[in-house]
Amino acid sequence: MSDDKTPLADTPLFDRKAGIRGYKLNKMAMSLGEEPNRKAFLADEEAFLDSYGLDAETKAAVMVRDWHEMVRLGGNLFFILKISAIDPTPIIAIGAAQAGMSVEDFMIQRLGKRNG
Amino acid sequence: MAEIIGGLGTSHVPSICVALDKGIDQTPQWKPFFDGYDYPKQWMKEHKPDIAVVIFNDHGNAMFLDRVPTFTVGVADTYKPSDEGWGPRAIPDFAGAEDLGWHFADKLVERHFDPMIAREITVDHGCQVPMELFFGRPEDAWPVKILPIWVNTVQFPIPTPQRCWDMGRVLREAIESFPGDERVVILGTGGLSHQLQGARAGFLNEQADRDWLATFASDPDKWRSMSREDYVEKFGSEGAELIMWLVMRAAMQQEVTVKHTHYHLPASMTGAGCIVLENA
Repeated sequence: MSDDKTPLADTPLFDRKAGIRGYKLNKMAMSLGEEPNRKAFLADEEAFLDSYGLDAETKAAVMVRDWHEMVRLGGNLFFILKISAIDPTPIIAIGAAQAGMSVEDFMIQRLGKRNG
Repeated sequence: MAEIIGGLGTSHVPSICVALDKGIDQTPQWKPFFDGYDYPKQWMKEHKPDIAVVIFNDHGNAMFLDRVPTFTVGVADTYKPSDEGWGPRAIPDFAGAEDLGWHFADKLVERHFDPMIAREITVDHGCQVPMELFFGRPEDAWPVKILPIWVNTVQFPIPTPQRCWDMGRVLREAIESFPGDERVVILGTGGLSHQLQGARAGFLNEQADRDWLATFASDPDKWRSMSREDYVEKFGSEGAELIMWLVMRAAMQQEVTVKHTHYHLPASMTGAGCIVLENA
């Protein structure tokens, strides 16, 4: 996105800045596409995150599953979805968390659904 | 020479795979979505393509951010399905149309494009979902070979809609100059409106989606001349994947017949649907 364009409200684009900020987080998440890494993550999550050199802020966001914060720190949803696959956390819960809504409100207000 | 027998567009939402894996595709939640794919499945059976060109984006499964090619052409003889974190899926590997892949790569470079050429790579749900929706899930082998074309829609700068269109023109030239009698179908995939990231997550735009499906065939100039920013605003940050349908549209003739459209809202967090085009 060009710098002279007003960014779209509440729509973080995965650009140079986010890509640099979130590189290690995304690299860690990418590795969860392989079973041995999923096992290592489950066995000792903190040690696994440390092995990818995550800074304290990012590590904390992952460990409490703060999806909004992970995106703010440069995480890209397509990579960090592999963390959610381990839990597993439904994508609608991740959407709701970023919108700052309960899952129920999110489904009704954003997705136009009355039930799950 | 090989022949383009049709162009189809579709969503490729991963939860479609999950619905099929869990066998919940006939539940009240999913049936209305899947019913719209009866026609394209039947169309495939009647038209018997030999090769499916599948235009999609990788979602951080086969490609990381260490190198981000704008366009990638597959020239492998086999593509395995990616493990997206949930473990491998029980679907057959995809046989590659490697000769057409190389021919297309040659044509692209001749026409001043600079693709990455990939011969060992997996295909994620961006390719798997359209194949399952249009061909059903086979027991042993897919009924067609595939030529996968990856478009970067994840990390900005993503290509412009016009550039996707231009690549589609070269795709048409490549297929129509390919020695052989293969029947080729082109699948443009992604969208429709959705946004997975940020406080606007869950953004859907039914009106824009319906406008897209209604005018995609008759007025592609409107869509190829839009900016990337407009796509993001109108369809959401991930809904901008729709630019990949333009590759398919440009490979078709100016005059096309719309055989079928389908729209369903929401599938997971997206507007979902498909279109079936034949050259007029």
